[in-house]
Amino acid sequence: MSDKVKIIIDDIEYEVPAGSNLVDMAKWYADNDIPVFCYHPKMEPVGMCRMCLVEQGSIVKDRETGEVVLDENGNPQVRWFPKLQTACTQIVHDGMVIRTNTEAVKAARENVVEFLLTSHPLDCPICDKGGECPLQNLTMAHGPGTSRMNYDDKMHLDKHVPLGDLIFLDEERCIQCARCIRFQDEIVGDDVLAFHERGRKLQIITNSDPGFDTYFSGNTTDICPVGALTTADFRFGARPWELTEVPSICPHDAAGSNISLSVRLDRDFGGRAMIKRVMPRQNEYVNEIWISDKTRFGHHFTRSEDRLKKPMIKKGGVLTEATWDEAIRFVVDALKAADGSVAAIAGSSTPNEDLWTLRKLVEGLGGGLLGAWTPTHAGADLVAQVGVGKGTNLGDLGQGDAVLIIATDLEEEVPIWRLRLKQAADRGAYLVVANARKTRMDDFASDTVRYDYGQAAHAMQNLDAAIAKKLKEANNLIIVAGAEGLTLDGSRALMQAAANFLIESGHIGKPNNGLLSPFPGANGMGLHYMGFSPEATLQIMQNPPKLLIVNQAELLADDPFAAEWLNKVETIISLNLFPDAVSNMAAAALPIQSFAERDGTFTNGERRVQRFYMAQGPMGEALPAWQVFSQLSEALGQGHAKLSAAAVMKEITENVEAFAGMRYKELARVERQFPDVGGEDLYYGGTAYQNKGGLGVQIETSADKGEAVSVGEVKLPDSPKPKKGQVLVVPVAQLFNRQSTFKPSVLVHPRVPQPYVEINSKDAARMNIKTGDLVEVMMADQIRVTVQAHVNGGAPEGAAVLPRYLTDEATPMVLTVGEIKKV
Amino acid sequence: MNIIRGFMTTFKHLSEEPVTLQYPEQVRPFQVRFKGRHHLRRYENGLEKCIGCALCAAACPADAIWVEAAENTDEARYSPGERYAKTYEINMLRCIFCGYCEDACPTQAIELGHEHQLSFTDRRDAIYTKDMLIDPVPEGGQDTPQQVEPGVFTRSIPVMPDAK
Repeated sequence: MSDKVKIIIDDIEYEVPAGSNLVDMAKWYADNDIPVFCYHPKMEPVGMCRMCLVEQGSIVKDRETGEVVLDENGNPQVRWFPKLQTACTQIVHDGMVIRTNTEAVKAARENVVEFLLTSHPLDCPICDKGGECPLQNLTMAHGPGTSRMNYDDKMHLDKHVPLGDLIFLDEERCIQCARCIRFQDEIVGDDVLAFHERGRKLQIITNSDPGFDTYFSGNTTDICPVGALTTADFRFGARPWELTEVPSICPHDAAGSNISLSVRLDRDFGGRAMIKRVMPRQNEYVNEIWISDKTRFGHHFTRSEDRLKKPMIKKGGVLTEATWDEAIRFVVDALKAADGSVAAIAGSSTPNEDLWTLRKLVEGLGGGLLGAWTPTHAGADLVAQVGVGKGTNLGDLGQGDAVLIIATDLEEEVPIWRLRLKQAADRGAYLVVANARKTRMDDFASDTVRYDYGQAAHAMQNLDAAIAKKLKEANNLIIVAGAEGLTLDGSRALMQAAANFLIESGHIGKPNNGLLSPFPGANGMGLHYMGFSPEATLQIMQNPPKLLIVNQAELLADDPFAAEWLNKVETIISLNLFPDAVSNMAAAALPIQSFAERDGTFTNGERRVQRFYMAQGPMGEALPAWQVFSQLSEALGQGHAKLSAAAVMKEITENVEAFAGMRYKELARVERQFPDVGGEDLYYGGTAYQNKGGLGVQIETSADKGEAVSVGEVKLPDSPKPKKGQVLVVPVAQLFNRQSTFKPSVLVHPRVPQPYVEINSKDAARMNIKTGDLVEVMMADQIRVTVQAHVNGGAPEGAAVLPRYLTDEATPMVLTVGEIKKV
Repeated sequence: MNIIRGFMTTFKHLSEEPVTLQYPEQVRPFQVRFKGRHHLRRYENGLEKCIGCALCAAACPADAIWVEAAENTDEARYSPGERYAKTYEINMLRCIFCGYCEDACPTQAIELGHEHQLSFTDRRDAIYTKDMLIDPVPEGGQDTPQQVEPGVFTRSIPVMPDAK
């Protein structure tokens, strides 16, 4: 993009980067909004809607001398093309001249709008898009004002076609721009939408079973320039102008997608502010303008009726409701009685502020162990050292760059990374996917590597020479290392091996180079920076303390083996959104607020610290967890309680080196991002919102700071070995699941698979199991679950792939062995 | 002379009929376009005209109208279109009876009538809910929600027989 060319738009000369698109450049440099329907800045132009017609010409040069020919006034002579050209299909070049304000252009625009409206139903009053509709806006700006068509001649088509369970199609409103089809094909790679029939009968159909089978379907409703595609979630929820947009961060995965919570008061919610829908918020570093369907449709848990609403304390062996004052006094007494034998476990979606106040509380009591939950992914410290460099943008990866994805199923774990890395591969990046089984990423990979479950670190160290050479020689290299099919030791070994590879090849300490890991939850890296580690969790498991504080971690729902050691803990203080098995065992169960009800920050997998803001009215008497910890600290004489999340963050910036300079004010900084999206640019990028809440700040790695990082020893652990008749039970992630924070999203239920286990065909034949049979998976300690068997080639021999959070009972978190029996 | 002229005027008016009305026993006839309290209209078959589009609320200069919409089904149908007003409230203390809501309404569902005797002893009573605003079911019509045959109501905004 370093070469510049000179173009003339409406008689003014601009210098723009060579090779870029005319519509983009006219908008970015000349502030000239060339209207478009089918063109989208994130997709290839197709020139279908003809809305962007402009007069185009080029400056005449003498063929012999190459000099610009001047007219009698001394101005460069322009040779105009005989007909109007579609601006969206033009690449800027030197001497390009366009006019966008002539009579011919105006007439062309009027005619296109009139044509598009010949069969548009004009049901704007009830349309979910009404008010933020590109067709509405462009008709107002460029339309003829009247129509020569007969209103009664409009085509009447089906207005309520479900494309899958989450998206509805209104066939009348569709203007056949194919943005949705092209999005699914070009950007996602799930080619599930298509045109059917021709001419006036042309319609969008889905050709997958179940319909619209993709994790990114909601984005099509954003880029649809009319109200043809609407979500089942928001359908008739409110008019767009009635909504207040609150910037927030997705609480579900390590991508930390920037979202905008559209909030409105609601009678059914007691007149309080309520999230009506979740929209993407532009952050070109994190999620561009896309979000996954889990992010979009997974907000219902915040106001589930099952939420814990009042503090409960144990009186006479029974949990009874109490006031906050009573509860705080009760917990303070319990903390004093524990005599320093205090530890804490925090869940991976606990915001930074809560983690810091919890740490201060525990350390103030003389305790030390701070456990991260779930203890499945190790190596956050390595990410802090050699993670992707500051300024990394997965959207910059392309020709000459390389990505290695190992031991993770990104589609299910961090869908936004999967989307962006798929596009990197499309742009020419060398993508290697290594896993013991086939995952979705294999479809986009340049090379795939197979290894046996438990052997990921070994595979990382012994990559095929040709692949390793290509990776090492790449301009930029990112390794995404997960923990699928590994124990915690195995995960550490893999992370160390990956870090070693990067250090040896020198792909550290610069943007677009380094290590990533799909930590579960929204704040996996925050746990590390605040001093919580999975290793400490293992120590807590081995030597349970007298008193354990459990914050937003559903130990018993996540780990079938947790009951054993948890019973040894004398006093459990549980803070959670929902009453769960842990809070039932606890001496005190305290209700805390979800991300939607409070201010806070998450640190995403790329170590970007991002702010979310209070959006929704609180549930019951729930408080933000930092406030609870802060009050407990005050009652214990550890100093005054903090009064705001911002004050807690200020304290973090003063005490945690990585967070220095990350006051809320800094995190809220925004800058102009390309392409211009949101605001008044709906016609151009769709209804992804402008980022007004902050782009966040990325924490520097040790390598970024120029500190010496050295290769560490990889301790290859003993992987669990199945005995005869046993198989390896491999827990894997499933994006749509029955976790407590996703189960309340009822509309997604049809998309959540029934509990199943994936078995290899050879094992299945040996055990005489067919697809659809009910089987029992038995593990150590008499832990057993009954699930359906799938024999679809999704599991390597000797392994049973058991997705987590599909069954009501807990299934293993890490690699283990078990037996399978037909029921 | 001037005194006589002055008393003439006085005596002339004594013989005229008084213009004062004994309100509320006597009520003056209203102008046709008088803007009193609102009514939500129904079609002859009992279905509500309101489609819950909230354009009235958008047009309201006093922010007096609150609309929450929901989707019709053939099992429980409130209006002929796809959408109906689940909640419809007007705060009569805020309302300035300008009639913009009437102008904005695409289905002529809201109309300002002639009722003007609005008084409240509690501010909360000033909020008129949908039940208070909606017309009674016309004779031969059916109350909402109605159960209807599938495939009858397929338009998102009904075709209105009495469209202006």
